[in-house]
Amino acid sequence: MKKFTPLLATLFSLIVVFPIVYSFSASFFSYTDFTSIPPRFFSSQPTFSNYTRAFLESNLAGFLSNSLITATMGTLIRLSISILTAYTFTFFTFKGRDVLFVLIIATMLLPGDALLIENFITIRHLGLIDTYLGIISTSLLAPTHIFMIRQYFKMVSSEYREAAIIEGCSDSRFLITLLLPISQGVVITLALQSFTGIFNDYLWPLLVTNKESMRTVQVGITMLGFSENLDYGPQFAAITLLMTPVLIAFILLNKNIKESVSTRFTGR
Amino acid sequence: MNKQGLIKIKPYLLVLPALALAFLFCYRPFFLTVINSLSNVSLGGKRTAFVGFDNYGRLFSNASFQDSLSNTLRFTLFFVPTNIAVCLGAALLCNRKGKLASLNQVFMFLPMAVAMSSSMMMFKMMFNPSIGIMNHLLNSDIQWFSDPKAAMFLLVMAGVWLDIGFDFLLLSSALRNVPKELLEVSNLEGANPWQTFTALQLPLIGPTLLFILVNNVKDAMLISAPVLILTEGGPFRSTQTLVYQMYLEGFKSGNYALGSTIATVVFALTFIIMLLLLSLERKRVYYQ
Amino acid sequence: MKKLSIVLCLIALLAVPSLFAQAKGEVQDQKITTITWWHSNSGLLGKAADAMVSEFNTGIGKELNIQVESVYQGKSSDVLTKTKAIFQSGSNSELPDLVQLDASGVLDIRDNQYLISMEDLAKKDAYDLNQILEAAKLSVTYKDSMIAMPFNSSTILLYYNKTALEEAGISTPPRTLDELAETALKLKKTDEKGKTIRYGFANVPTTYELIVWLGHQNGVTYITDQENGHTGIPTKVLFAENGTMETFLTKWKKLYATGSLENLTSDVNGAFASGRVAMMVGSTSNLTTVHQMIGDRFEMGVAAFPMVDEQANGGVNVGGGALYALDNGSNNSDKTWEFVKFATSKEQQLAWHIATGYFPVNRDTYTMDEFNTHLEANPLYGVAIRQLQASNPKLQGLWIPSAYQVYYAFQTGILKMLVEDKTPKETTVSLEKEINGYLEDFLRMNQ
Repeated sequence: MKKFTPLLATLFSLIVVFPIVYSFSASFFSYTDFTSIPPRFFSSQPTFSNYTRAFLESNLAGFLSNSLITATMGTLIRLSISILTAYTFTFFTFKGRDVLFVLIIATMLLPGDALLIENFITIRHLGLIDTYLGIISTSLLAPTHIFMIRQYFKMVSSEYREAAIIEGCSDSRFLITLLLPISQGVVITLALQSFTGIFNDYLWPLLVTNKESMRTVQVGITMLGFSENLDYGPQFAAITLLMTPVLIAFILLNKNIKESVSTRFTGR
Repeated sequence: MNKQGLIKIKPYLLVLPALALAFLFCYRPFFLTVINSLSNVSLGGKRTAFVGFDNYGRLFSNASFQDSLSNTLRFTLFFVPTNIAVCLGAALLCNRKGKLASLNQVFMFLPMAVAMSSSMMMFKMMFNPSIGIMNHLLNSDIQWFSDPKAAMFLLVMAGVWLDIGFDFLLLSSALRNVPKELLEVSNLEGANPWQTFTALQLPLIGPTLLFILVNNVKDAMLISAPVLILTEGGPFRSTQTLVYQMYLEGFKSGNYALGSTIATVVFALTFIIMLLLLSLERKRVYYQ
Repeated sequence: MKKLSIVLCLIALLAVPSLFAQAKGEVQDQKITTITWWHSNSGLLGKAADAMVSEFNTGIGKELNIQVESVYQGKSSDVLTKTKAIFQSGSNSELPDLVQLDASGVLDIRDNQYLISMEDLAKKDAYDLNQILEAAKLSVTYKDSMIAMPFNSSTILLYYNKTALEEAGISTPPRTLDELAETALKLKKTDEKGKTIRYGFANVPTTYELIVWLGHQNGVTYITDQENGHTGIPTKVLFAENGTMETFLTKWKKLYATGSLENLTSDVNGAFASGRVAMMVGSTSNLTTVHQMIGDRFEMGVAAFPMVDEQANGGVNVGGGALYALDNGSNNSDKTWEFVKFATSKEQQLAWHIATGYFPVNRDTYTMDEFNTHLEANPLYGVAIRQLQASNPKLQGLWIPSAYQVYYAFQTGILKMLVEDKTPKETTVSLEKEINGYLEDFLRMNQ
């Protein structure tokens, strides 16, 4: 049994990774490679034309930049709000604090998917259809982030802050020079999580974007129009283009990713 | 305003953005959804009459909804055990040291790097019955998108693939945290791998497994976007799930009341599951 | 940490201006009017549509200072979803000037305050609407007014594997469902283990097919009252009381009993092109694509859509889609009309026909020499055109609320009858109940 473990594990992991490898290979296929019998794993004459077509016959570059912009913006705003909120709930005592905290954290109980219809109407009324703000609007509040950052901040005694304030240190300075450095780890992890989360979002950006020029890449990649006509080459090329940077990052950072998951996995 | 007053309202100002977002994108839509589910709502989104629980009565006698409900439950029932078995199997197989093992591990969590929509497009093309690679590989002519059973199977597989990266990492790290000494002792005592697993590893990774279980159930109950891309609820509504039908009623048929009624049912179902999740999390000891 | 915060600040700076950036603001010469056209044409169709737009933009459009921006909004149903979402919001500024929709969307759009009637635009320009094919015109006529411009018009056809038919010794394609069952059985092939390696026919009838299979019985009949919703909002289905559904389902069950029918709902074109299925029904607009997919595997033939029985003489309806002009507050409708006129001109309809297989909606195209030369070289297209000419123009598509759910109701109901061995009567009753439920819902919500 022990002897077979590596063999079995390798076989298993190859099955898991097969769709990725196949997409990569198929992105170099010509039209006839897909229909050839017996089926091919590698192209008879590898062609780059799928990549050029994916770019030239669609607005892939534009979609990608929309995604990068919204993911960056969303992450920054989301983290700022989370840090600010966590800070306030940790270091301030005010009337109704616990109730308000529960009110914010309890939003976790309302699945966003079931709120789609009403949220869409809200965004419409606010005139945020086809805007970056509209795309990120529903991801700006992250109760889990607030919760986790607060856990970190709690490690600093609030007397410490009071002392600092008396010394003439402002809240913002205290936050930036003292709190953030010690909670750097969690903030970076949450930032990465937010970025990939917003970058990979599908259903909401699909609903709130109408113009082609505002489409995010995850929506755009399903609307290239190639696969409807069984023209798979350019579709695979677009997918490969999109996933390759992330794959490389994952392979390079695989140790960090393993560690970060092993230390905290309460996020999404 | 004097300084004293400013200091008093400062904390409220600081939490205002979060509170405003919570109100605007969570509580308000939630209450409106519930109210809509008790009303007649026109195509323009206007509530025209209060009808009590009429919509619920109609919903539960709606053939399409009955299909959605049973599909969602069926999907959950197939997906959760399959996913846990696959991910746990993968984690156990890769729980070794060495170059090959770490290569195996990297392969196992790579699917996490591919976004949902790309993955589903990949699956859609690979499983195309006439020119997709899968039927050629399996030497079959399974009609993945025309045969209800095959389509459900495909959706379950796609779900597992979407989840394997993260769940694998969680389980691997839980397994790594099982003290080596215990494993050695168990080896010396002559326990076989199965005994070691059930007596030693399983209890220790229990909390992680529970966490995954509850999360999987929640995800499965809410599945919609993969359905939208991969099968569009077909064939014969066999993969039409609750949230997907909600999307259909709300955005394709313009039947807001019915959509909101489905949403409310989904709330109720997931609320129970999320409460369970929270109570489990509270029991967990954070490793920080 | 310091480095990180610098990077973060830089990104923040970059992101701030984009916060309110709406893509609308592409600076353009003020004299030029941009017309937005949402469509669902991808692949070959997409290329043809793009060619048409660029010809307009560099030709007439340039002279008139009109530029058309075509936006592929996904499948036809996705275009409708997007358009409806904006309608329901009550504000019109995000609407496109022109949208291409199929029949499933008409009910949602025809009474909308933001729809600009095509007939009005034509009248303003003193355009003779008799140029447009009668059946195509009726397919978008509501309350005696042509609300849209037929553009990508098609009919449903029978596609068959001519090589396979010849091998089986069949010289003429089936004309009725009975003949279809016979032919399909002869075309079915099994391997030595008894596994079917070629089905005679593949289809699961749903709205698209049933409009014809129910509608062409006894002259012309309709699926719902209000003439399939063309004279008002349908309140109930008629197929149970007039017996058309039961007649059809009885024939269909017989066809299934031969074992040569495969219940395919997707990739039917692929199955046909790969030779796994010998006959299918499909839109004329698939002709070019299917032809390309088959390559030189076998010879393809097309024939008139099979009739339910000998009494079914109503022919087929005009399917496909039409162009709807919308009011988004920019007062561009006369400029939109220029493009519509261009797109349905005899020359453009010819180019569109040759590239896609949709039949020309402009009568004048049919008398062009190029058209007839093309028809001679590609006789398959002639089948579709003759079929339409022989049809009763009163047979029209279905304008129904919850079109999506109705579509699946048919599909699911018919499959249940086949695999659970229900009677045609039971199936008819349950379909009537389900679809009437959707109609009631709509009326109740929108009184």
